[in-house]
Amino acid sequence: MSNLQNSLTTELRRGTLTLAVLSQLRTPQYGYSLAQRLESCGITIDQSTLYPLLRRLERQELVTSTWDKTESRPRRYYVLNEYGTETFEQLKNEWEKTSQELYLLLKGENHDETN
Amino acid sequence: MKLIDLYIQEVTRRLPEELREDIALELRSTIEDMLPEEPSEEDVKVILSQLGNPAILANGYLDRPMHLIGPKYFDVYTSLLKIIIPITLTISLITLIGKTIVTSTGEEALYSIIFSIVSKGIWQLLITGMQTAFWITLIFAIIERTDKVRDNIPLTMNFKKWTPDDLKNISYIPKKKAITKIHVFGSFLWTAIWASVYFNASSLFGIYESQSDGFKFISSAFNQEVLFSYWPLVTLVIVLEVAFAIYKGFARQWTKKVAVVNALLQTTILVAFIVIISNNELWNATFLTYINETAQYTEQVKNWAYQSIIVTFVIFTVIDIIEGFRKSRITKKYF
Repeated sequence: MSNLQNSLTTELRRGTLTLAVLSQLRTPQYGYSLAQRLESCGITIDQSTLYPLLRRLERQELVTSTWDKTESRPRRYYVLNEYGTETFEQLKNEWEKTSQELYLLLKGENHDETN
Repeated sequence: MKLIDLYIQEVTRRLPEELREDIALELRSTIEDMLPEEPSEEDVKVILSQLGNPAILANGYLDRPMHLIGPKYFDVYTSLLKIIIPITLTISLITLIGKTIVTSTGEEALYSIIFSIVSKGIWQLLITGMQTAFWITLIFAIIERTDKVRDNIPLTMNFKKWTPDDLKNISYIPKKKAITKIHVFGSFLWTAIWASVYFNASSLFGIYESQSDGFKFISSAFNQEVLFSYWPLVTLVIVLEVAFAIYKGFARQWTKKVAVVNALLQTTILVAFIVIISNNELWNATFLTYINETAQYTEQVKNWAYQSIIVTFVIFTVIDIIEGFRKSRITKKYF
């Protein structure tokens, strides 16, 4: 892929990152487990973007975090709170609407080409 | 392990004190999660390169702009720079020229005064320009960092968001009709130069003789007392010129009114010039004798020189007046 295509793709995906992260926080996750879950679904997110993003979501009061220091390695768990769940549902609806509209637009394009 | 410690230190030293410990702990546990059992140095390097530049990571935590002046303030910032820098440059240049000419004793030749103005001028303009740019940039960088609303919507010159009403403050000016800022500043500069030269003419213009220890000032060309005696007339011209330059600055384009005022001013200047130059006492007697001795200076040559100077002046004045009216007639064109 050319440089331009790369940067356009990154731009296209950037807006969906918050939604992707929120979707995985219905159950408590720590940094590494979250990164792995996203990766297994094919979502690539820079590590240097992910950890600050989690802190930001906490500052915006969408997620709450707790330290689990009982195991050999201390881990910081993040989970959606009530406001976060509500926001996530709204974002999800918005995304579904947008993707359907875009789907129609893109399908229309194909249709025109075949004519 | 050493590399991980250093990496975490590189990130946390960029963060505020209260966040450091917490983020360091989380980063360490994350890095250890990513590493296999008994990691080699290569393994550590792979993981750290995934985390990327510590400065970028730290900045992500800070949620603070990594630029000095962002999109919100960029337009106001550059516009203000373009307005303020020419003003400070003009003021500092006028001050320098005035000071150098007024303090000249008549001991040094005219070219050495000009040389001193040019060499000092370049240096002074550079410093003034940098100083102005520095302070404006500093003020904007502080505003940018204290602004809590980070919406990246560019502001207009009144520091508010753009509305269509802002268009009412703009007048459409065709390029050929416009009076540029450079023209206005040039007018100020010109007035400052000739006024300082006029009141110091006797120590600037004259006969210099080449001697072993450089140039020696033999005789002044002008009678400074005669030049001074016209001070009310000259001051009137200075005041009118400055007032007209300010007026042009506000008008921003050639209108019929500007052209008429220009015609009146140019005629006044012409009359003043002829009155002063026609005074027989204007030239220093020693100077005239010296010219008489060295060059074949006859009454005829003198008259011829006088007439051609006056005719040249009249021609330039007429051209200037006509040009003003021509520009004022250029009509607006909307594209």
